[in-house]
Amino acid sequence: MTATAPPAAGVAWLDIRTVHPRRALILMGAGAGLGLVLAGAALFTAKGTTTLVVPADAVAMVNQQPISRIDFDGQLRALAVDPAKATPAMRRQVLNDMIREELYVQRAKELDVGLVDPEVRSAMVKAVEAQAAADAITSKPDSAELRGFYDKHRDKYASEGVMVVRDLVFPPAAAAQARTALAAGAAPEVVATRFGGRDTGKTSGEEFYFAARIHLGEALFTAARALKTGEVSEAIADADGAHLLVMARNTPPAQYDFETARAQVATDYQAAAVARYQGAEDGFLRRRANVLVAKDLK
Amino acid sequence: MSGKVAGAITKRTLAAAVAMLSLGVVLVAGMAQSQAREGRLLRLDPDARLAPDQRTAALAAGRRVFRAQCAGCHGPDGRGDTGYGAPNLADRDWLYGTGAVGEIEQTIAYGIRSHQPKGWNLADMPAFGAPRPSAKERLDPLSPGDIGDVIAFLSARRGATASAEAVARGRAIYQGRGGCYDCHGGDAAGDPAIGAPNLIDAVWLYGDGSPPSVFRSIAQGRRGVMPGFAGRLSAVQLRQVSLYVKSLSEAP
Repeated sequence: MTATAPPAAGVAWLDIRTVHPRRALILMGAGAGLGLVLAGAALFTAKGTTTLVVPADAVAMVNQQPISRIDFDGQLRALAVDPAKATPAMRRQVLNDMIREELYVQRAKELDVGLVDPEVRSAMVKAVEAQAAADAITSKPDSAELRGFYDKHRDKYASEGVMVVRDLVFPPAAAAQARTALAAGAAPEVVATRFGGRDTGKTSGEEFYFAARIHLGEALFTAARALKTGEVSEAIADADGAHLLVMARNTPPAQYDFETARAQVATDYQAAAVARYQGAEDGFLRRRANVLVAKDLK
Repeated sequence: MSGKVAGAITKRTLAAAVAMLSLGVVLVAGMAQSQAREGRLLRLDPDARLAPDQRTAALAAGRRVFRAQCAGCHGPDGRGDTGYGAPNLADRDWLYGTGAVGEIEQTIAYGIRSHQPKGWNLADMPAFGAPRPSAKERLDPLSPGDIGDVIAFLSARRGATASAEAVARGRAIYQGRGGCYDCHGGDAAGDPAIGAPNLIDAVWLYGDGSPPSVFRSIAQGRRGVMPGFAGRLSAVQLRQVSLYVKSLSEAP
């Protein structure tokens, strides 16, 4: 019977043993309202949900696929238009083009054009490779990781050697005397004239080691590399005579310390990470795939 | 006794329920307000002038993002690291673009040589002291003397004294077989559309601008990388950190 008696104001509102129609109505309304707000927020913000509004970071939704505001601004800028100064007509034009592109991309997915168009297939392969590479460079290696990489590949971080060398060729019988004269400091031109030799012209002034190797060939380069500045090589026999190398200056490769090489180390570290990620992606795709190979190709 | 206890429990339960409900309402309202604020920021043109309180809030949030994501390379004050090729963001020299917030945002979103198709991936500095300087372009290597001549040419363009013969040889290489003009421009003032640095100002991306340091850049090549943050940062975080980066260069 107490339930039907009019509740005393204030106290009865808080007494849950007492039925209070107004309280029940208000709480029910508040709960329903909160639920609606939460559901609405989820509906309009959660990824993958159908939405009737365009999120703030997009300029349009095409079949629930957003067209990013950043890309829209980028497209406007690509037309050499400061987005702030773009006219409404320009904006509409760019937006229409982007919507059209999105529609065609979606249609291409429906048609599965990747199955038949070699260019699309190639672009898809490159895109997946690029995605794996992009993942690889998102984390910056710390200094210890870079130093470890540097220590492991120390030989790579050196300057390219530089040499100024002349390659003279003499009749084999005159080579020993020519060498003695050159070693005594006589000018190469004078010695060549005197002993019937000539400059092969294979080298020209200061050269990086790799260039000298190409110009001289492996055997002569190996001999040249071992010479110190001012030294003359032993005679090296070849089809055209005996070669004498006169080393005017030899600057061997110098090791870079970590600080000097840091930028290069970082680039190489990331390149190695990219190769590793792409290899892992390749392995993962192969492992999860069901690939059947014809008997004659096994 | 038991009635009093039951009464107390029910009162507490009811109070807790009402408190929870109120908290929920406050949270949802706060979230909605925050989303509305973020939405307003995103819908504005990136370079639009912000209201003072909106700008203060965006810069504070952007600073937090910068500290967490960017300071590792660019330094806590954004002054970069020439040992690493991370540009100084606090000067008014922009390697890519003109320093518009929208351009900064695009760079942060998609990166530089980040393997993201929308990133800045147009140019690498060839390694002219290597047998094959560029994987993309057909270029011949340069000899150490050639590189020295190019450095002399660039020094002369900056107003330094250099041998006239070396400058002439360097100019011929710069404008000819070196192909340097193709990226850095005929006037060597660079091209922000592809991130080719200005070679005649006092700003150096790598090293200190001394001849040995420039020699290393030409001989070994450069191809610095910046990851793209699209997907790792929300759209509003991208905008906030872009505004913060822009503000670094506006400091007096």
